[in-house]
Amino acid sequence: MSRQTRKPKARGAKVTTVVLLRLYVVGGAPNSVQAIANLEAICREHLKDGHRLEVVDVLEHPRRAMAEGVIVTPSLAKLSPLPSASIVGNLSDRNKVLLALGLTSKAQ
Amino acid sequence: MTSPHARARLARMKPQQILPRLARKGPERQAIEAGEIDAVIDYASGNVILLPAARRALLAQASAGNVLLAALPDAERWRLHAGLERVALKFGEVLQEIGAPIREVYFPLDCVVSLRTQVEGRHALEVGLVGRDGMLGISLALGASVSSARALVQGAGMALRMNAMRFREAFRECPSLQLELLRYADAKLTLARQAIACNCFHTVEARLARCLLMTADRVRLGELTLTQAFLANVLGVRRATVNQAAGPLQARRLIRYSRGTMRILDRKGLEAVACSCYTGLKRARDVD
Repeated sequence: MSRQTRKPKARGAKVTTVVLLRLYVVGGAPNSVQAIANLEAICREHLKDGHRLEVVDVLEHPRRAMAEGVIVTPSLAKLSPLPSASIVGNLSDRNKVLLALGLTSKAQ
Repeated sequence: MTSPHARARLARMKPQQILPRLARKGPERQAIEAGEIDAVIDYASGNVILLPAARRALLAQASAGNVLLAALPDAERWRLHAGLERVALKFGEVLQEIGAPIREVYFPLDCVVSLRTQVEGRHALEVGLVGRDGMLGISLALGASVSSARALVQGAGMALRMNAMRFREAFRECPSLQLELLRYADAKLTLARQAIACNCFHTVEARLARCLLMTADRVRLGELTLTQAFLANVLGVRRATVNQAAGPLQARRLIRYSRGTMRILDRKGLEAVACSCYTGLKRARDVD
């Protein structure tokens, strides 16, 4: 009974694993604002407290963005757990983001 | 907030110029074509290239809060934007000192800066207010390089700050900015003339009402942080006199004044108490 009611666990994200994410944006720009909102919604739903998100404004930290190979913004990087992954755009395609982060289950 | 020198250099470029630099079937190019990208980082030049929609949005945000900047054409706002930095100003912060070089200019968004002059090094008197209708550091545009007044933040809030050297360059190159600032300087001169007459002929109560209305016009918040000592300096009177003048306004429920925080309860009623200088000065530089 309890096994049937338990929610399926997301693949690749154990309860104890903290997912490290870094989102490169241009503060205040429309797609960046949308990307932050979309990502926060996804994290709330799928990762709850098991994530750490850092938002980096490329206008404030251009050298850092270049050192980390960012070409366009918004740009999301999953740093851990491995394998690392990245996705660009305003993150409105939820399935694409979940796939890139390794959070999709086979049931979805 | 990081130093402005560490910030990215912004460049203008059309998407057609950017697209050939990216891989034809790469995700970056596809996202640009789908309209999901704000900026491209050009590694060759080290510039951040804002795409047109993001550029328009940032320009509108940066200048919407300031009347002078909002009046400029897009090309000039863009010219200024590269040198503007958004800063939070705290109540009581000193931005310029009398006789000191003007190192930065400020375009208030929702803060108010009081300009004070001193007599015999101790008696401070407010000689001007700078809010979202204007700019602090107008003397630079008129050829001066040192401040003739002490600039003190009277209402905390946000402002756009620009380095004096970059401002001088922008002023030389932007004709609309020149025109707007000269108009603003003229309005300030009118205001100063009127204030001299007002200080000589009008009662403290009427001047206090004018001062409160003028300050409220320049901030978006309903509450103002104004201590009695502050108002005494603004009006050039003793603190006890401020108390005597504020009492009747409070008793008539025109304002609520408590522990240095003031809220206008009845604007029309306060306008009726204020001297005629308020409407005259408001006409000289309408902030609405």
